[in-house]
Amino acid sequence: MSKSSFLGADTIALHSGYQPESDHGSRAVPIYQTTSYVFDSVDEASALFNVEQGGHIYSRITNPTVAVLEQRLAAIEGGAGAICTASGMSALFISFFSLCSAGDHIVSAVQIYGSTVTLLKHTLKRFNIDCTFVDINDQKALNAAIQNNTKLVFCESIGNPGLAVSNLPAIAATAHAHGVPLVVDATFATPYLNNPISHGADVVVHSVTKWIGGHGVAVGGVVIDGGNFDWLKSGRFPTLTQPYEPFHGMNFWEEFGPAALAMRIRCESMRDIGAAMTPHNAFLLLQGLETLNLRMQQHMSNTQAMVVWLQQHDAVAWVNHPDIDADAHTKALFPNGAGSMLTFGVKGGRDAGAAFINALQLSSNLANVGDSRTLVLHPGSTTHSRLTEQDLVSAGISADLIRVSVGIETIKDIQADFALGLRAATKVAEAQAAQVGS
Amino acid sequence: MYIQVDNAKTFVATGGKAFDASLPTVVLLHGSGLDHRGWALQARWFAFHGYSVFAPDFPAHSLSEGEALTSIEDMGAWLVRALDAAGVNEVHLVGHSQGFLVVLEAAKILSHRLQSVMAISTGSSIPVNPSLIETAQSNPNLAAQMMLQWGFGHQHQYGASAVPGMQPIGIGQRIMANNPLATDLSACNAYSAGEKRAQELANQGCPSCVILAAQDRMTQRHIGLKLAKDLGTQAQIIDNMGHMLPMEAPKQSLNIMKQFIQSVEN
Ligand SMILES: Cc1ncc(COP(=O)(O)O)c(C=O)c1O
Repeated sequence: MSKSSFLGADTIALHSGYQPESDHGSRAVPIYQTTSYVFDSVDEASALFNVEQGGHIYSRITNPTVAVLEQRLAAIEGGAGAICTASGMSALFISFFSLCSAGDHIVSAVQIYGSTVTLLKHTLKRFNIDCTFVDINDQKALNAAIQNNTKLVFCESIGNPGLAVSNLPAIAATAHAHGVPLVVDATFATPYLNNPISHGADVVVHSVTKWIGGHGVAVGGVVIDGGNFDWLKSGRFPTLTQPYEPFHGMNFWEEFGPAALAMRIRCESMRDIGAAMTPHNAFLLLQGLETLNLRMQQHMSNTQAMVVWLQQHDAVAWVNHPDIDADAHTKALFPNGAGSMLTFGVKGGRDAGAAFINALQLSSNLANVGDSRTLVLHPGSTTHSRLTEQDLVSAGISADLIRVSVGIETIKDIQADFALGLRAATKVAEAQAAQVGS
Repeated sequence: MYIQVDNAKTFVATGGKAFDASLPTVVLLHGSGLDHRGWALQARWFAFHGYSVFAPDFPAHSLSEGEALTSIEDMGAWLVRALDAAGVNEVHLVGHSQGFLVVLEAAKILSHRLQSVMAISTGSSIPVNPSLIETAQSNPNLAAQMMLQWGFGHQHQYGASAVPGMQPIGIGQRIMANNPLATDLSACNAYSAGEKRAQELANQGCPSCVILAAQDRMTQRHIGLKLAKDLGTQAQIIDNMGHMLPMEAPKQSLNIMKQFIQSVEN
């Protein structure tokens, strides 16, 4: 198992990467709201620029508050290093951008977040990076899709919104047999429920916006370099194993080994693309991370209660959560439950579903997940509206699907709210039935 | 750069500049299970300030091929063959932990080619608990973790990093778990000539420098202080840091390294 810290996850979340600084003894991580850092001398400046010394130069590249979040997330996921970014999407973009060049190819799970589909299918295609989508747990299909120019296999550990659980060890084994790394978006799993690096992933991405932040107050992302992939042996990554002229002719693999990718991202993507996380957002997201484990326990117990409650409700057509009739790999990868997202269909289809959402008082109808508050959404008309019918079906989304991000409110209040919604849905369903009958 | 030593492809980090054997050469030797990357920052400073840097991965470590060497004496002799292969004449030898035991053995062979020696977090002997060697044989990953838990000082156990965003413990674990740690540890444990070699160096008037870490739990303080005494020098102690000084305190260790080597050169 890959380790980056000998502290427990709860302790890492509270302490890693920061100990009270000597000037004022600030117990909380301070917000270093600054663009730049004074050099002691010309010699020090040149040492920093020439990587003879670690330290901060300019906040697009690194910032002390952001670095605490990076080091904490790297430690909690068991990675070699991390780079925080302005959003989850920019974390995904720089991961793909750092591993692929024009003419390269990605194999991705079909069961993924809508914007990631458009990034892979349309945006990267404009730069001549192709993507083949496969059912990620279909080993044969995955194996067949990997080409000579494939640079990575991508999946979400729990897919959004279909909630398919990726069999990470099997996918990693297939990718590695071809000398290709596995990149995992672990947003829905959170570091509390599953650490993909210890199941074979080479790069882990989170939308920190979601459960890690937890309070719905800041957008952010992170790329964590697992540090276990041998970029040289793979033979597919000249960007990491040959001199990079625009940065001192540096050979990242030779210089940094297990942190080669993290350093390449730092030196190239943060410099040239600059999707940096702000120090203030890093501070807000740190507040979330500090209580992630406690919140996740409540998220999970509420989710388990909601699954049972919905399954028993007359107005509900179906309920989907990975723990229902869980397959062996889901049980093995998620011993504490496979996340606090669930989907369900309301009897009466699309219109009843809309009535359900409109009647809710406590739960919020919005395009986010992983807030501490319960959130609901109808993906077919919002996040996934740009997908074709066929893409919707492949992504496991039906027209009546309602996505729920179960919050940490008192469970009886969530249930009372859903009872309101389901009453409204039932009325629509009954009216529909009466119309059909008349 | 890659060179051939004993017919094996051998990686030598040169600090990001082409190696030039005509410049004063600083040789940086890694500790048990580690590799040249522990010197990444110091190597670049020397390479860009008028020195040539020679930081090899020992055989079968990280980027170097070949068979792992089983004794410190063999490692010392190998180092001299590696320097010869690269056409290096005079050298400043710097060793971290096990790397300094190798310095002591190479020094004997190099004789007048030696300009100075520098010891970091080390002693003239490094006794290793037999149960750690056994663990390194049966479960290298676990042994690497045990060493990193002991090796890094408190700040790094709490996730500090000299390079923002990185996790030195995680980086160290990947490197150590894949290198011949058990062979290295056995070699350290078996080595007993260090005290005599250190005293010989002092008698020859070889300039020396010893840097120790206040929180070193791998090579105990008294061993390091004894080494400094044998070498006829005073140990400099860096506060708040552990055994992995080159990675934990690259700036502080570099400051002492450059002052010492510059003073010898001038
Ligand atoms: C699985 C997943 N990955 C990435 C993202 C994008 O993250 P962000 O909104 O922080 O850019 C999302 C957003 O919903 C997501 O659900």
